[in-house]
Amino acid sequence: MATREELSEFLAGVERRAFKQAVFAVRDESHALDIVQDAMMKIAENYGDRPAAELPPLFTRILQNTIHDFFRRSKVRSTWVTLFSSLNPEHDPDADPLETLEATGDTRSESTETTYQREQIVAIIEEEVARLPARQREAFLLRYWEDLDTAETAAAMGCSEGSVKTHCSRATHALAKALKERGITL
Amino acid sequence: MNQDEFGFRIRQALNDGAERLDYRTVLRLEQARGKALARQRRAGPATVRLPALQLAAAGAPPVDTGRGGWGWLRGAGWMAPLVALAVAFVAISDWQNEREIERLAALDFAVLLDDGPLEAYADHVFGVLLQAERQAQ
Repeated sequence: MATREELSEFLAGVERRAFKQAVFAVRDESHALDIVQDAMMKIAENYGDRPAAELPPLFTRILQNTIHDFFRRSKVRSTWVTLFSSLNPEHDPDADPLETLEATGDTRSESTETTYQREQIVAIIEEEVARLPARQREAFLLRYWEDLDTAETAAAMGCSEGSVKTHCSRATHALAKALKERGITL
Repeated sequence: MNQDEFGFRIRQALNDGAERLDYRTVLRLEQARGKALARQRRAGPATVRLPALQLAAAGAPPVDTGRGGWGWLRGAGWMAPLVALAVAFVAISDWQNEREIERLAALDFAVLLDDGPLEAYADHVFGVLLQAERQAQ
């Protein structure tokens, strides 16, 4: 059984990636935070007594299901979801620009220009990842960001390994083409 | 650049972006983690095994004695008096049967030795034999 410390360590290790994946999917940070919180609650409440080794695939599956559930609910209440999507913190008029400086803390060895360029490239890559079709993005992120193998990705997505390979291949080509068009070479 | 290498480069960029989350997002994630940990499902409560009779004597509430083994003893506490009563009935019945057998054996022995009348077989009261013995004396 996973101890409280093991579960805490696991969640701390995956929460940022989970948040980013949710942002790529729903394109709204507030909803993405809700999705990650729901996924954390579900794994803690329903699988908190499982061994720590079983948590990663369970959380991956739960997160994907929670994202899918979000879209299902969105169809029903699309009107006010659209209304609330304007609450994106990026457009918050009360946001303090100094608050974001802490997140870029450990970059003292880089020049400001280099840091800025890196952030721009990362932002463009994130934009293009978010533009991928949902299933392609899901397969690509699970396979290359979560470092799952093809079989694990197929299990998490509920599809065949062949489909995973196809999705990943298409995602890779689409992403490479889009980045090249925006002048980014990796 | 092959697909895996490309994926690795993208992964580095995505990790970089994930590390640069603003502090409010990081705070919300920490709060979400705290809420989740507060609701962590635990394994079943530790089991306490106590003798059934001790439970009955102490009037203790039912205690989960575990999935197997002696768990069936959980309900035995209130049954103990009933079991004792049944055992007592069986013992008394057995004792009475033994007495009846001994009485009949003595009667048989007396009839065979012509010490008792044949009517004794028809009378379950041992007094008939005693009366015959007194008359013989």
